[in-house]
Amino acid sequence: MNDKLKQLYKDVILKHNNEPYHYAKKESAKHVLEAYNPLCGDKFKVFLEMEEGKIQSIHFHGYGCAISKASTSVMVKALENQDIEAAQSLCKEFLFSLQHKMKEGDALREDFEAFAAAKEFPGRMKCASLSWDEMIGFLNEFK
Amino acid sequence: MIKPEAIRQDFPIFVHHPTLAYLDNAATTQKPESVIEGIADFYRKENANIHRGVYPLAAAATEKYEKVRHIVAEFIGASSFKSIVYSSGTTASINLVVQSFLEKRLNSGDEVLISAMEHHANLIPWQMLCKKKDARLIIIPVDKNGEIDMMAFKDRLSSRTKMLALTHISNTLGSINPIEEIIELAHQRAIPVLIDGAQSVAHYPIDVSALDCDFFVFSAHKCFGPTGVGILYGKEEHLREMEPVVFGGDMIREVSYENSSFTTYPQRFEAGTTNIAGIVGLGYAIEYLQKYNKAEILQYLTQLSEYAHQELESVDGLEIIGKAGAKSAILSFAFENIHPHDVATFLGTENIAVRAGHHCTQPLMDFFNIPGTSRASFTFYNTFEEVDRMVKVLKEMKQFLS
Repeated sequence: MNDKLKQLYKDVILKHNNEPYHYAKKESAKHVLEAYNPLCGDKFKVFLEMEEGKIQSIHFHGYGCAISKASTSVMVKALENQDIEAAQSLCKEFLFSLQHKMKEGDALREDFEAFAAAKEFPGRMKCASLSWDEMIGFLNEFK
Repeated sequence: MIKPEAIRQDFPIFVHHPTLAYLDNAATTQKPESVIEGIADFYRKENANIHRGVYPLAAAATEKYEKVRHIVAEFIGASSFKSIVYSSGTTASINLVVQSFLEKRLNSGDEVLISAMEHHANLIPWQMLCKKKDARLIIIPVDKNGEIDMMAFKDRLSSRTKMLALTHISNTLGSINPIEEIIELAHQRAIPVLIDGAQSVAHYPIDVSALDCDFFVFSAHKCFGPTGVGILYGKEEHLREMEPVVFGGDMIREVSYENSSFTTYPQRFEAGTTNIAGIVGLGYAIEYLQKYNKAEILQYLTQLSEYAHQELESVDGLEIIGKAGAKSAILSFAFENIHPHDVATFLGTENIAVRAGHHCTQPLMDFFNIPGTSRASFTFYNTFEEVDRMVKVLKEMKQFLS
C-alpha cells in the first residue's frame, strides 16, 4: 500500500475515527454550528457552551468520511476549555498547516500532523478543514 | 467480439495514463481520437459561424452542423431531423421541456410524476415548476432492490397527472426501468412522457419512435462526445406548439424595436451561437460508436458487470446497493463503517477512478439510509483485469482500516 496513504490514515486519524472524542448530540446547547459540505454530503454539528470567554463544553455529532470525522474530533479535543483567543490561534495553526508545507524546525502539534498529509490528496483538503472553517467563523463573530 | 485492449487504443487518455483504470463512465466517458481530432480539425480547417455567412466556409460549417441532426435522428430512431433540438446537455434539455412545454399546461392541483431514483436534474426542474404552479410532485417509489414499484406507479396515475418524467437507467443503482410498459400505461391516460436517456444512450439500442416517448434527452459527453452538448428529442406535434424561453440571435423570423417573431423549431430553441464544434464532435462520437455492434458491446458489458458483481461480493463487509433484475454496468457499493470518499481515495492512489458520494440522488440515498456509495461504472474499454485490481485494493483497504 502507498506510503502517502499510510501517512494520511495513520494512527491519529484511525483512532479518532473509531473512537471520536465527545461524540454526542447535545441539541440543547446554546451554540450549534453546522459544518456541511453539499458536494459530498458530510455534515457535522458542533455543540458549544461558552462561559466567561471560554469554550466551557464542546461536543459533536454527524456523518462524514474518516478524515472529516477525525479532524472534527481532534478539533473538539483541542478547543475544549480554551479561551477564544487561544481557540482562534489553534484554528489558524491547523488551517495553516493544511495550506502550507512545513519547514524544517516548524513545530506542529502531533495530533495536527496527520492532516497535513491531506495536501497530497486532491479533493481531501476540504474534509480536513470542514469543521475548522466553520469554527473559526463562529469564533471571529463571537461577542 | 469486443476486444477492450484494442478499443483502448482509440482513446488517447490511455496513452497518457497507461495504468489508469477509468471506472467512472457514468460521470463522463473518455473521448476517442476521432472525436478529439474531429473537433480540433473543425476549428483548424472549417470554423465559421452558422446560419449567417453566405461565403463558402460558413455554408460548409452550417451544412456540417445541420448534418449532425440527421446523424442523431438516425441514432435514436427519430423519424425526422426536425425533432432534434441541440442543447447544452441533459439538464438544459429537461429545463426546456419544463419551461416551454409543461409550464403552460400545468395548473394548480395538477400532478407531475417522477421516480424516486431520478438524478437531481430530472427532479429539481419539475419540483420548482410544481411549487410555482401550486401543483404536486408525486414520487413513484422504488423497492429495496432498486426497482420501480409498478403497482404503486399504476396507483399514482390519475386524471390530475400532467407529465411523467423517468430515467431509463439509474445513474446510482444501474436499474434499467421498464420504460416500454411505463410509457404505454401513461399514454393510456394521455400523459406525456419524458425519458432521461443520459445513462442508456451510449450502450443501449434506442428507438424513440418505437418507444413512442414524447421527449428523450441525453448528453454528448456520456456517449464519447464533448461536454457542453446535449440533445432534446421531442415529438414534432409538441415542438410545434412550444414557445421559446431563451431569446436572442439565430432564432428569429422578424425583429423590430416593438415586436419579434421567431423561426420554426428546432432552431427556435437554439438562441445565440451554440457549441458548434461540440455538436460536430457529437456527430463524430456517434459515428465512432456505430463502428461497433451495440449488441456485442452490451454482451461484453453484461459479462464484465456480472464478473464485477461476483468479485465485489467476495470483499468482506461490502454491500452492493441496487440489485434490480435488469441492471446496466453501473455498480454501487457501500461498507458499513468506511465512508465512500475514503474508499475512493484508496482506489485513487492505485490509479483506479471511481465516483464516490450521493451521485446527485440525495433523496434516493436517504431511502437506502446511506450517505452515499462508491460507484464503478463500466464501458467497453474496461477490462476484467481492472475489476481484479479494484477488488484487490478494496480487500487491502478493508484490512488496513479494520
